[in-house]
Amino acid sequence: MTLKSRLLATTSAMLIAASGAVYADAHATHPVTGEALASDQNFVYRVGDESPSIDPGLVEDVDGADVVRDLFEGLYNQDAAGNLIPGVALSHAVSDDGLIYTFTLRDNAKWSNGDTVTAGDFVYSWQRAASPELASPYSWYIELMSIENGAAVIAGEMETSALGVTAIDDTTLEVRLSQPLPYFPQMVTHGTTFPVHQATVEEFGSDWVQPENMVSNGAYVLTEFVPQERLVRERNPMYWDSDNTILERVVKLVIPDENVALTRFLAGELDRTDIPAGQYPRLSAQYPEQAASVPQACSYYYMFNLREGASEEIQDPNVRKALSLAIDRDIIVNNVLAAGQKAAYTFTHWATAGFETPNIPMATMTQAERNEMAITLLADAGYGSDNPLSIDLVYNTDDSHRAVAIAISQMWKQTLGVETILANQEWQTFLEARSNGDFEVARGGWCADYNEASTFLDLMQSGSGYNDSKYVNPAVDALLAEAKTSANPQANYDRVEEFIAQDTPIIPIYHYAADYMYAEDLEGWPFENFEQNWYSKDLYKIAE
Amino acid sequence: MLSFVFRRLAVAIPTLLILVVLSFILMYAAPGGPFNSERPLPPEVLANIEAKYGLDQPFWKQIINYVSGVVTAFDFGPSFQYKDRSVNDVIAQGFPVTLTYGFWSFVVAVTVGMSLGVAAAVKQNSWVDYFAVGVSIGAQVLPNFVMAPILLLVFTLWLGWLPGGGWNGGQWQFLIMPVIALSTSYMASIARITRSSMLEVLNTNFIRTARAKGLPMRRVIWKHAMKPTLLPVLSYLGPAFVGMITGSVIIDVFFSTGGIGQFFVNSAFNRDYSVIMGITILVGTLTILFNLLVDVLYAWIDPKIRY
Repeated sequence: MTLKSRLLATTSAMLIAASGAVYADAHATHPVTGEALASDQNFVYRVGDESPSIDPGLVEDVDGADVVRDLFEGLYNQDAAGNLIPGVALSHAVSDDGLIYTFTLRDNAKWSNGDTVTAGDFVYSWQRAASPELASPYSWYIELMSIENGAAVIAGEMETSALGVTAIDDTTLEVRLSQPLPYFPQMVTHGTTFPVHQATVEEFGSDWVQPENMVSNGAYVLTEFVPQERLVRERNPMYWDSDNTILERVVKLVIPDENVALTRFLAGELDRTDIPAGQYPRLSAQYPEQAASVPQACSYYYMFNLREGASEEIQDPNVRKALSLAIDRDIIVNNVLAAGQKAAYTFTHWATAGFETPNIPMATMTQAERNEMAITLLADAGYGSDNPLSIDLVYNTDDSHRAVAIAISQMWKQTLGVETILANQEWQTFLEARSNGDFEVARGGWCADYNEASTFLDLMQSGSGYNDSKYVNPAVDALLAEAKTSANPQANYDRVEEFIAQDTPIIPIYHYAADYMYAEDLEGWPFENFEQNWYSKDLYKIAE
Repeated sequence: MLSFVFRRLAVAIPTLLILVVLSFILMYAAPGGPFNSERPLPPEVLANIEAKYGLDQPFWKQIINYVSGVVTAFDFGPSFQYKDRSVNDVIAQGFPVTLTYGFWSFVVAVTVGMSLGVAAAVKQNSWVDYFAVGVSIGAQVLPNFVMAPILLLVFTLWLGWLPGGGWNGGQWQFLIMPVIALSTSYMASIARITRSSMLEVLNTNFIRTARAKGLPMRRVIWKHAMKPTLLPVLSYLGPAFVGMITGSVIIDVFFSTGGIGQFFVNSAFNRDYSVIMGITILVGTLTILFNLLVDVLYAWIDPKIRY
């Protein structure tokens, strides 16, 4: 290399560097809000455990779904409030009978290797998610979406090609349902429905999720994946909206201990971490700008065993109702948990979209009135100081479940003179005992699969596999079946909630809240999104 | 000697087989299964999954399939929990991490522990002795699950010198705290065993003879006292080494190192049968190997021992 050519090379290198700087400067303010952006656009967050899978077809946990939403993009995304916004699909049309959905896809959606994302990719991916060969634990989601022949394909009774999804052309996707489902469009924001790159999956088998193999269509691409330690994703230049993506790099760290994670957050190593149980009051007082509590789409409840042959006492609805009334939920949420949870008198979470919490009489009574009513009900059922009731309560081993159980057993004791025998069981043992009906009263928690009340209330169907109480009420079954196809199911949901309050197969105790610490310079977090579906492409860091 | 090694290795194989079968039975006797969750799977979905992992076969057939897979193809099967990975992937990723911090912990524990022990014995009832005994008792009573958060608080939050966890390919900054936390209690035990063993040896007749013939103390210790002192230490070091390199769930939990200990404990909670089996076999094999190694070293150090 001559001196001259070397000079030239150096100059052009400097020019390239300079143009890079100009580019970075051009992005130094947020395109919409105009806030000054930090030069460091790395987002580091904590999870407690490794996800079972980050393959869209197999993903089954919340942390895995967060990763999948960054790496892949489905038909629709959610905005900060949880409303649908275009993803790969721009819009859709519904047939008059509500059975055929036709999605129009954008033509500029690309895979990270440059291939175009087509309707055929969705057909392949949905067939794959339902196929017995993949044996995805989330294949039931395809069935839940009521896609034509979904159940038969999962059961292996039909070929995957029989699934009711067809590519009319590259940008037109037709989905046929077995019954009208008003909230179907909401369901395509779930990872199970996201596309995978057929050629890559077929070439590498289960190794296709390794960073060196993965081809994805989301705002980020996978660059590093060390299970139980870290997962790194970086901005995908092939993404159709890459120009408006601000975070450059997102790092998920697996930190099993939440107190260690908090220490590391305070040392500045993390931008987001969970608040350890019981520490929300202290941290929100000390770091008001960083601690936040948001509604989480889960309900906490106790279930009664209503099976034939289960203990006699709790088969009396008056006994169950008395036990429910005697629980002072305000003490549980304000004093025991104290992290933004809300007292629950309905099973459906108060923040569920389109759901108006019905007027359950118990909810508007004072605790003194409730206690009085509880004492009367229990006395009518024949229990009192001469014939005290004794209840077995079982929960899975966990500090906060124990705290709630102790508080409730005290309330039952003080108000009703009920003796409670508490037992905790290791998780798997607990699940087996519960599904085998080997309990009297057991703790339950249920999280929404989609943002609509039926995700909770369907548990009350007599045929539901998740109905561990084995509550059977034909009226409830009829109401829920009718709600499925009704344009305005609220009245049905009100009636079902009234049945729950009256028959008390379960005791709703509180509605969850999720509490986290967020770095002060992190902006764009969708606090209003009830499902807490966050997209790294919408986050950014502001300059101090 | 050689025939002894071969005999021991021959016994090791049935031992391992018994270990495999016993763990298999215990595992299946535990309630629950790898695919249970708060949300039970619909029966047709569960059937697909069980067919995929061979769990629909009779119990005896599962054991035979498993053992033959391990023996013929060194295939420990897919992980039931981490669906994108096989057990071999899990071990290949986690074991080197544990091996690295375990090895350095061993080096630190042996060097510091033995130095303290020897110094304490030689200068018995002096301030050196009291200091060494004090340190080793202190280290012994401070369990690593107490020590780990203290280290984090001091070096990460207050001083800001060291990263609060992670592995990052095993860079030295990420190694320091795990090694300190893991090695201290082993170091304490080594120091105490070394001290008492050395004291015993120093009171024997052959040491008195060596000193009577005018050998300098340094030479007496290194040349004559060291070898017999090592015997009890050595029998402790074999299992200790295996313990260090095969996993400390405490270290993995507090320092987020992603080692095999964390996988082992999680797999038990998740009923991830194949991972439990894989790691049990790994730990079992290493235990057998290192016990054998200790026995061989014994014979080398102590000429009285004949096999």
